[in-house]
Amino acid sequence: MFPYSTILQPLFWMSMGVLIALFFMGIKYWLADANIKMNGWKWSVLSGWFFFLALTVAAAFTLMGEGEWAAGKRFLLFFGIVLLLAGSGIWKLLKKA
Amino acid sequence: MHRRDFLKFTGLASGTLALGGAAAAGYMSGTDKKGNTGWGRAPYAKDQFFNRKPFLVVSPTYEKVSTPQRIQYLDNLFRRNGELGFYIRSLGERGLEKVKEEGISSLPQELKAYYTDHPKAFEEFFLTSESAQQQRANWPEHKNRYLLTDAWSKAHASPLRGRDAFPPQPQGPPEEWDFEGVNPDPLKLKSPKHGAELIKKITHTFGATLVGVTAIKDEWVYQGILRGVGKTNFEKPAHWKNAIVFAIPHEWESFYANPTYGTSYEAYTMLRFIAGKLEAFIREIGFSSRSHVPPNSYDLIIPPLAIDAGLGEQGRHGVVITPELGANTRLAAVSTDMPLDADIPVDLGIMKFCNKCKICAEECPSGAISFDDKPTKVVRGYRRWCTDQDKCFKAWNQVATSSARGCRVCLAVCPYSRKNNWIHTFARELDPRDPTGAIASAMLAMQKQFFDYPGGSQYLPPPDGNNKTYGKAPDWLRTEEWFDF
Repeated sequence: MFPYSTILQPLFWMSMGVLIALFFMGIKYWLADANIKMNGWKWSVLSGWFFFLALTVAAAFTLMGEGEWAAGKRFLLFFGIVLLLAGSGIWKLLKKA
Repeated sequence: MHRRDFLKFTGLASGTLALGGAAAAGYMSGTDKKGNTGWGRAPYAKDQFFNRKPFLVVSPTYEKVSTPQRIQYLDNLFRRNGELGFYIRSLGERGLEKVKEEGISSLPQELKAYYTDHPKAFEEFFLTSESAQQQRANWPEHKNRYLLTDAWSKAHASPLRGRDAFPPQPQGPPEEWDFEGVNPDPLKLKSPKHGAELIKKITHTFGATLVGVTAIKDEWVYQGILRGVGKTNFEKPAHWKNAIVFAIPHEWESFYANPTYGTSYEAYTMLRFIAGKLEAFIREIGFSSRSHVPPNSYDLIIPPLAIDAGLGEQGRHGVVITPELGANTRLAAVSTDMPLDADIPVDLGIMKFCNKCKICAEECPSGAISFDDKPTKVVRGYRRWCTDQDKCFKAWNQVATSSARGCRVCLAVCPYSRKNNWIHTFARELDPRDPTGAIASAMLAMQKQFFDYPGGSQYLPPPDGNNKTYGKAPDWLRTEEWFDF
């Protein structure tokens, strides 16, 4: 994020780590309230989905940063829809299993 | 609010913020100048970062189909056009019309022989001449808009001109010129391995992004003309044993804004400085050397040497594509008798990708690039992609520049010519390791569906096109950002 700063760069990634930890802490309660019992493989699937969502967002914005705005938007739209569909499938799977 | 709800909404907000962070980090990675591979860490060889070891092959990926032949100097467009232009000027004011009317049969023997075999090239010469006149006539209309880029290009071209150009043109036969100033009392080199390693390190310190070493095959030596001697048929000099081949990229931002905002001269100048310094260095440690540099000071053809040296593979557009620089790879070489261990060629699947891709052919403003599914033409014993040089040069004489400064659209649109950041590293590392070609197909589908391309003739000025560039020009080349006009 701040490639030329020796202070802001590590601070940024530490903050990202904190945000992701908080996200997973919060999602635990959402899942519990939805009566979804989690185990190892379910957490792996959920984490993988979130990882790919973050990767898609990052990739799309990398293309935009390169000046390829149209490509970035199309990338985000296409893989965003794929991930939303996958997300709804995963939600159903978590509920069922 | 309950603690539980607080944690739930904090989690949701944190997830959203984390995605925002991913977007911001991605965006910065895209804009980061560090991704403009080539010059940042070149002196320490860190810009030659791709691990070629898993992709080494016994034979280069170009296909030998019959006995190789050396390239005749008239096969080189610039030498051919130079020769014909010289003849036309010798006829006086109406020389061009006269040669056009009288045709190929009126030409001096060598030109006649060439154009009899290549009559289309003769026709293209006159079409190009007309385009050049039109280009000059159009320039007043464009010159304010492109003032900065023209000035930038001319500044880069300035060290190439005149008698003081560096490195100096050879004066005399290679057996004398290549040994001029050679240290008469050299130390004994430990081994060719040491030699190659040292020379690569030194060449990187001079600014080369990529460096490779290969033995010089006879077929990569020009025939019919020898710098320092003139027109002659000659055998490859015995001391032209090895070639040190090196590459640098064009400046990335102007490169994406081809054809009108780019120039070849900035890379040419840099290559000439590297080659000239390397030539001097090699002589100082006791070995012969000779530079082969752009724009047209060659006795060797460099792209096949670069392929032999394992730097990359030939692309559909005829240019060497390397994993680090893509088609943004500009080459030069120094020949020497210094004992050097040769590098090994690579197969990165680039030629296979080019079979499918065709983006450069679709975007070429002159239609000079083949659409064939596989290389079909056999040129001097090798089956290869073959660009129509004459058509290509015609486009140089059409785009909105002050002179035929080049086009380079095929290099800019090439999917391999991308910055060095995480997203392209995935592609760079995964594609050559996938034997099925599925990753290449998926990437190509994304490339064609997601990315915008102006389309062939759009790069030309009106009425044929609209002076489009592939990418947006950087602010430092856009006159309107700095001057009123």
